[in-house]
Amino acid sequence: MSSNGAATTKITLTSSDGTDLSVDREVAERSVLIKNMLEDLGESGEAIPIPNVNAAVLSKVVEWCEHHRNDPPSNHDDDDSRRKATDIDEWDQKFMQVDQEMLFEIILAANYLDIKALLDVGCKTVANMIKGKSPEEIRKTFNIQNDFTPEEEDQIRRENEWAEE
Amino acid sequence: MERHRPMSHEDNPPSAAFLRKKIRPGEDVVDSSNHAPSKSIFGPSEPTDVDTYSETDSTPLTNASSTTPAHLADENIAPFLAKHNPEQYAPLGSRPFQLLEPSPANSKFCYRHRPDIKCRRQADEPSMDHLQRELETLPLSDQQGIAHVWSVFSAAPAKQRILMLQGILAQCCFPQLSFVSATVRDLIRIDFLTALPPEISFKILCYLDTTSLCKASQVSRRWRALADDDVVWHRMCEQHIHRKCKKCGWGLPLLERKRLRETKREIELRATTWNISAPSRSVTPMENVEATPTPAKDSASVTGKRKQESDDEECAMVKRHCTSFASENPQEKDDEYFKTRYRPWKEVYKDRFKVGTNWKYGRCSVRAFRGHTNGVMCLQFEDNILATGSYDATIKIWDTETGEELRTLRGHESGIRCLQFDDTKLISGSMDRSLKVWNWRTGECISTYTGHRGGVIGLHFGDTILASASVDKTVKIWNFEDKSTCLLRGHTDWVNAVKVDTPSRTVFSASDDCTVRLWDLDTKTCIRIFQGHVGQVQQVVPLPREFEFEEHDAECENDNISTTSGDADPASIQASLGLDSNSSSAQTSPFGPSFDNGRPVPPRYMVTSALDSTIRLWETTTGRCLRTFFGHLEGVWSLAADTLRLVSGAEDRMVKIWDPRTGKCERTFTGHSGPVTCVGLGDSRFATGSEDCEVRIYSFRS
Repeated sequence: MSSNGAATTKITLTSSDGTDLSVDREVAERSVLIKNMLEDLGESGEAIPIPNVNAAVLSKVVEWCEHHRNDPPSNHDDDDSRRKATDIDEWDQKFMQVDQEMLFEIILAANYLDIKALLDVGCKTVANMIKGKSPEEIRKTFNIQNDFTPEEEDQIRRENEWAEE
Repeated sequence: MERHRPMSHEDNPPSAAFLRKKIRPGEDVVDSSNHAPSKSIFGPSEPTDVDTYSETDSTPLTNASSTTPAHLADENIAPFLAKHNPEQYAPLGSRPFQLLEPSPANSKFCYRHRPDIKCRRQADEPSMDHLQRELETLPLSDQQGIAHVWSVFSAAPAKQRILMLQGILAQCCFPQLSFVSATVRDLIRIDFLTALPPEISFKILCYLDTTSLCKASQVSRRWRALADDDVVWHRMCEQHIHRKCKKCGWGLPLLERKRLRETKREIELRATTWNISAPSRSVTPMENVEATPTPAKDSASVTGKRKQESDDEECAMVKRHCTSFASENPQEKDDEYFKTRYRPWKEVYKDRFKVGTNWKYGRCSVRAFRGHTNGVMCLQFEDNILATGSYDATIKIWDTETGEELRTLRGHESGIRCLQFDDTKLISGSMDRSLKVWNWRTGECISTYTGHRGGVIGLHFGDTILASASVDKTVKIWNFEDKSTCLLRGHTDWVNAVKVDTPSRTVFSASDDCTVRLWDLDTKTCIRIFQGHVGQVQQVVPLPREFEFEEHDAECENDNISTTSGDADPASIQASLGLDSNSSSAQTSPFGPSFDNGRPVPPRYMVTSALDSTIRLWETTTGRCLRTFFGHLEGVWSLAADTLRLVSGAEDRMVKIWDPRTGKCERTFTGHSGPVTCVGLGDSRFATGSEDCEVRIYSFRS
């Protein structure tokens, strides 16, 4: 695939803070948004502005796209996500070992750039941070204020008791 | 909060001298190796860096190095603050900490500062009060100095803040950097579900298991609104009801899948337009409504009227008990009737989950039905109706709720060995060689079929086809529509059980000759022989088409060879199949040419039980035995199955529940004082009949 001349064409992405990133077109096209923009723009060679993503996040996203450049196109089958549940492949797990702000930004960027597989990984990562925790541990993890009254809290706990094994 | 006390664990406690020294170029207080860059940023010797500042601020910070903090405030910082944060600027010292709250009017903050406000004003944020108290312990001049540093930072636009932070970090020694690193890790905690668009939040929640979801809904109001939403629980229902979730190995009882599918679009739309203020429950049908089954055309179909008042998941009994294979053509229901009553999907899920938990832990109530005067040989239950057939030559109809015996059907001259009922009729087979059709509501015998030259010991009917299995070694097919009959010959001993698969127009049969055969009703020929059992095969149950089996779960290798239909006697099998070779080209159906033109194929999986004390799971397409279930001590007379479990009854008086995928025996029930000859399985119940004349129903409803 990469021996193909067209596949290795470089394009330039400009982050929200004005940094230019040179990326293989094939890599950038993991983003449906960029792919569509490139189709619309044609071979103009102009830098593509990515106004919602800063340089740090954009380079992180590009890093992910580089690693997954040869992945088969994802099928949008629901069963797919059901099967794979919250399993994340090892490389992706490492990739997602970032602070919460970066994770947050990656999820937003993946959503904005329309990179479904990356969005999936990001959401699974957050899900894994929630899994198996008590409400209090979840609050701690994400710094959330408990805005229930003690009475409400007690009632809601009882409402959800059935799920305790 | 210890961790927020910035300097408390430092080698050098903060002091005025310390602070003054820090901003003086060249005077490295802690560790000189880390401080080299400090000169370049704060020192006057590097005018290029000063230029960076003067772009945005006419007052050069370089003066700071030669003035006291008090002067800084008056001469340098005030104009800086006034420029960048005019609305919030107040005389320093009086209310310095207000400056840390960014004003909405200030557009120079980085774009994430707005969500920051939402996310960061939280429970255990380092309290500014605390910092202020800390500050107040210092000499006044130092207080001012520190306050000024904070004020300048607070007023600075995003880009300059980064520069300031870089400057500070460049001066830090490792212990300080370690402090920063630990503090920062703790500070960057984001309420993802609140800060992200709802659509993405739902996506995250949909990756959670039941328990985690219920914990999530106890976190905060916002989390509760999201985690309790139909968007999430509809999906949970899709994943778990009537199928075993790959993720958690958890299966819930049947829920009408059609209705689940119908709601799907609505739910997807809901996820994208979700609004916390509109917690709608508009999409969930009442449980007893959506649980209304779509009875298979080939099975005893029960019409809506009785369903509506009956308890929910039991409705599917007929389909599941009698045929165990799903229809491809669900009967259309009167949908309009149900449109008005709704119920949150979480509630639906919860009820199913409770039943599932009861199954898992074996929590059930048992009811015994006594009245037969000889061994009970066959049974079926559906809704509140239980029908049993006995060697006492009678059929009894019972109310499962009250335990009351409603009716006794008399007419057969010998023991009843098989029966099946639907909404309108009951058909029975007897050792007196006849089949009888009854109106079970009145007890009237409508007609009697004769034709077998031996006792009728197995039967199964679909929409138009009745199959009967006999001691005379044949299977007889009775066509209700054109009144034609035909005989399927091939078994060399008693045929104990038959199952009609209407969609594929095939019949399965199990025989004392230790084989199971698959017959094509179009050609009236046997298209597959399953060999492997070493005892008389008593039951054959095709599994619902939704049943999924992972290839790696198979334990086939050693079994494979002895059980593939072609292996025992390839030549004769091939001849009977009318095939040249098992390895025919990819386009042709594994079941032969008559299945090539889009004709539905038989269910892919089936289970069988035999007097060799084993149960086997087979793949019909290849003839392979995928798994053998060991555990019964004596012959297995009876077997029932759905997508979630198998239930078996044996000569050893035990009833066992099995996981068809793992082959594990999940639970064993004892209680009968004789061999267990028949079993029935529903979503929340199973029934057993025994030679001890008793029938028992185990209910897992909570």
